[in-house]
Amino acid sequence: MVDSYLKQRSPKEWKTSEKHGAGEWLAERWTSVALFFLTLWAAWSAFGLASQGYEAALAFVKVPLNAGLLAATFVITMWHTYMGLNANVLDYFPNSRALRLLNLLFCLAVLALALGGIYLAFKA
Amino acid sequence: MSKPRSTEAAYRPLSPHLQVWKFHITMFTSILHRATGIASVVGAVMVAAWLLAIGLTASGYCPEAYTLFLSFAASPVGLFVWFGLTLAGFIHLTGGLRHLIWDMGLGFKISSANALAWWSLLGGIALTLAFWAVLFATGKVVL
Repeated sequence: MVDSYLKQRSPKEWKTSEKHGAGEWLAERWTSVALFFLTLWAAWSAFGLASQGYEAALAFVKVPLNAGLLAATFVITMWHTYMGLNANVLDYFPNSRALRLLNLLFCLAVLALALGGIYLAFKA
Repeated sequence: MSKPRSTEAAYRPLSPHLQVWKFHITMFTSILHRATGIASVVGAVMVAAWLLAIGLTASGYCPEAYTLFLSFAASPVGLFVWFGLTLAGFIHLTGGLRHLIWDMGLGFKISSANALAWWSLLGGIALTLAFWAVLFATGKVVL
């Protein structure tokens, strides 16, 4: 059976994956819990801002609490996205370092654009 | 049992794949959780674009940015995209809740797992329809 082959792995390898694995698993869960509340808040805010125009949107972002929550939502969203997309990369292209790097760069780019937008709106 | 072709193959357990699985609701919602998660990435990009458009307009770097954003986001195609994104987002949200319940070690009986899968799927759809029904009813969105 397959199990006998697993024993060929050294105990050292098992141990490195133990700690790293738990950290990632926990990060996936905690980002999920945080996003449950943050996205419901975002949906509620989006409902309030729908059809209210540019001035209302700008005024919304300029409220410090909103700017902070938006920034937090984006940091956690892109972290969660990075882990989620990486799970896909590892399933379908397990050996591709390029795709994992691309994923990281993509998530950082979206985060940078969102945070940049919040900053410019908040400062204006 | 025959020996696996390579020892490396033995180290990589394959996920149960579509060709050999009979349809059941937990399998369907599992696939849907991945699909809605990927679709929601587009939502994150859209909201990032919205924030960037506000920032670029407010700072004066590109005063037409917000109008440009609205020309897509408020168009019929844009509304259809937003609808799809809210559907994906809400199904991923309730699906995530289902996973968190399972992660606490609850609901593993087959009947409970099936019920949880149905409730999360229907709950996600219901939240989406309610969200848009209220948007239309309050006149915030008109076609």
